[in-house]
Amino acid sequence: MFKKIGAVLIIMVFLLVCIGVVIAEDGKGNARKGKYLFRKNCRACHGDGGSATELSPISKTQADWQKVFDDYNQLECKTEWNKLSDKDRLDMYAHLHGHAFDSPSPAKCK
Amino acid sequence: MSSSCKQAISRRNFLKLSGTAAAAAAVGAPSRVLYALVSEKEEGAEVAAHEMFSACDMCFNKCGLIARVENGVIKKLDPNPKSLKSRGMLCARGNAGVKQLYDPDRLKYPLLRKGDRGGGKWQRLSWDQALDHAAEQMERIGEAYTRCGFLFMAGTDMQSTFVHRFAEAYGSYNVISHESNCLLSRNRAFLDTFGVVPTPDVLNCKYVIMPGANRFEALVTPDSMDLMTAMQGGSKLVVLDPRYTKTAALADEWYAIKPGTDMAFFLAIAQVLVSENLYDKKFVAEKTNGFEEFQAHVDSYTPEWAEGETEIPARDIRRMARELAAAAPAAMVYPGRRSSDYEDSTQIRRAFAIVNALLGNWDRKGGLIIPKKIKTGSIYHDAPFYEDNPEDRVDAGMSQMMFDEEGSFKHTRDAVIEGRPYPVKGWFTYKTNPMQTGANRNKTIEMIHKLDFMMSVDIVMSDTAWMADLVLPAPSYLERKDPISAFLASSSCSGVITRDPIVPAMFQSNPVFWIVKELAKRLDLGESFDFTIDDFRKTQLEKLPEVAQAIKQDGVYNIVGPSYGIHEGKPFKTRSKKIEIYNSRYKDKGIDPMPVYHSPKRVPRNHFRMVVGRNAFITQSASTNNSLLCELQRENSLWIHPKPAGTLGIHQGDQVEVASPAGRGRLKARVTEETRPDTVYMDSGFGVISKGLSNIFGKGACIAEVLEDHADKISGNMAMHETFVTVRPV
Repeated sequence: MFKKIGAVLIIMVFLLVCIGVVIAEDGKGNARKGKYLFRKNCRACHGDGGSATELSPISKTQADWQKVFDDYNQLECKTEWNKLSDKDRLDMYAHLHGHAFDSPSPAKCK
Repeated sequence: MSSSCKQAISRRNFLKLSGTAAAAAAVGAPSRVLYALVSEKEEGAEVAAHEMFSACDMCFNKCGLIARVENGVIKKLDPNPKSLKSRGMLCARGNAGVKQLYDPDRLKYPLLRKGDRGGGKWQRLSWDQALDHAAEQMERIGEAYTRCGFLFMAGTDMQSTFVHRFAEAYGSYNVISHESNCLLSRNRAFLDTFGVVPTPDVLNCKYVIMPGANRFEALVTPDSMDLMTAMQGGSKLVVLDPRYTKTAALADEWYAIKPGTDMAFFLAIAQVLVSENLYDKKFVAEKTNGFEEFQAHVDSYTPEWAEGETEIPARDIRRMARELAAAAPAAMVYPGRRSSDYEDSTQIRRAFAIVNALLGNWDRKGGLIIPKKIKTGSIYHDAPFYEDNPEDRVDAGMSQMMFDEEGSFKHTRDAVIEGRPYPVKGWFTYKTNPMQTGANRNKTIEMIHKLDFMMSVDIVMSDTAWMADLVLPAPSYLERKDPISAFLASSSCSGVITRDPIVPAMFQSNPVFWIVKELAKRLDLGESFDFTIDDFRKTQLEKLPEVAQAIKQDGVYNIVGPSYGIHEGKPFKTRSKKIEIYNSRYKDKGIDPMPVYHSPKRVPRNHFRMVVGRNAFITQSASTNNSLLCELQRENSLWIHPKPAGTLGIHQGDQVEVASPAGRGRLKARVTEETRPDTVYMDSGFGVISKGLSNIFGKGACIAEVLEDHADKISGNMAMHETFVTVRPV
């Protein structure tokens, strides 16, 4: 019985951890809005000639973007990340993860 | 070499030119306007001559050229020997480029439709009137239907990037390229196998199997020349094509494969490579994913089985597999370009890609390579976000794995006609002619009738412009300043090119950059176009002074150094970081993870399968009205085999009607053994409805009218070999 409850709890925790990603993969994040937000919030530093590494969706794999979004609190710019709403982050995830270099529709260089 | 014109058109000639232009208001009316350009040298007068570099635009290849200018008139276009991509060659179309410039059928000033759509009645507008009207329509449609209610479609052109930029600033995601009527399924297949779309190193290849592609007529530089060079050096070419094309004629072997069975052929090739242990074992073990599954998958796809499908003898398939393996890694299945043929065209190309993987030709001399490409700078813009916009494109979800930034013309057109998932009521086209290139012309007309407003920017009154409400004249490539364009070609010949005006823009034509900039100003989006082409170029080349210098000095920058063996050790840009013989993403999406063969639909009794193709002087529909190229071909004809022709009572040159459920057309019969008895063919670019194309109006039939519109299930690419037609003498 306890084993069963434990298993259910583990599954629930797993589901809770994954839920943001699942939502994004189901297309709930708005990639179009995400593109706008990425430019607005990130390009000042991550654009060509910016103070940080130049970034676009194709700078990383889907797995790499997943790690970025899972662990954004580890990033140097975590303060900026924390200013964003959950929805904004989800939209940016939809854009960046959805157009990563190993995604079905890699972003064109622009 | 001079970078500016030493002498513009003389005042006298200009007055003649503009005076005649004003008189020729009715489109399609006989015009002598450009004969004024014939120079009238006085005896003994000195000729002011100079030469300038440019890049051809008669098709997508951008071959390097040198224009010879005398007294402000372009007299001749020659190849630029410094352009490695074009190997010092300019083809028939390239030579005929002068007649794109000096063409009496050129659009001369903005025109507003009066009367019915397609009725051919126009009112001349000033540019201000035209742009104000366009901006008002854009504003109104954006307000009424959201910004995504306006569709943008730009062809392959160095200024198309500005149309995309404008669409983004305006706020529409509904941007489609010409590619979904062309090569998207090939891109899809190779991307989903290798994580990138490779370039074939034809020059160094020893054994090429070319399925469907017609490289000695449908020219791709440098592949067309490199293939010839390689063959002169002893390389072998095998062509699979239901038609006896020029490429087939020059090949070592030609097989009139049964249309729609290419996948069967390559699965059988793979079966031999696997079962006889002829594949590159080290390469496959290190760099591929899913080989074991594939080994079992192809077990039953034997050459004997494939013979029944393809009508190619099993012994030849087996022999070719062995010969390929013996020549590997300098051996390849040529990926081809236009792949808009069947509903499973992506899976057909996956089979090509997998055979290449088994040959281990990746990043190897004579194999599939990824040359280095120059990354130019860009001027950023912050496109606004429109909160009321729908979440996605109008064609989203209509194919299994569409490219977001390319879209699907077929699915978009269906969505516009149905008004679902949301209404699209405006359309901007630039240098693309879907009335001629999109299968099922009647549906394109139906789509246009659903629109509130359509505007077309072009050099001449194409069929698409003919259906528009507002037509804006653009200059030819010889009259305008373009941004810098980096291109991938083949081994040691990728590079960078640009264009400067060789002569001033004629009539009242204006480049699309200027047009969208002016529209942006009127729509309060000027910030996105707060630069000139010179500013844009400067940013593009800011960190590339050597490129700027080479372009100035040689008209082209060629990337030197090896283009193979440069990616060793790098992970593939796929989910598994390896070459995906087995594609797990396909599996997740309910798509066959490895290509599964399904026999093509049987050609019904008394019917034929229509196939599309090219000859060396036709660029889809863009070149058929050219007065020089007209000398080579004045109309199209229907290729039909003598056997069915005899049964139908059709003789050489007879007028026939070719018909499908989509439409019909009348043209002359070309009774020939150069096509299979079950297959008919006709060139594209004829049977026009535009009376503004005076050389070809009333000539031949339009293949886009006859073709039904099917789509590749995975990519949404148009599938143009799925139409069965009847033929009768008339």
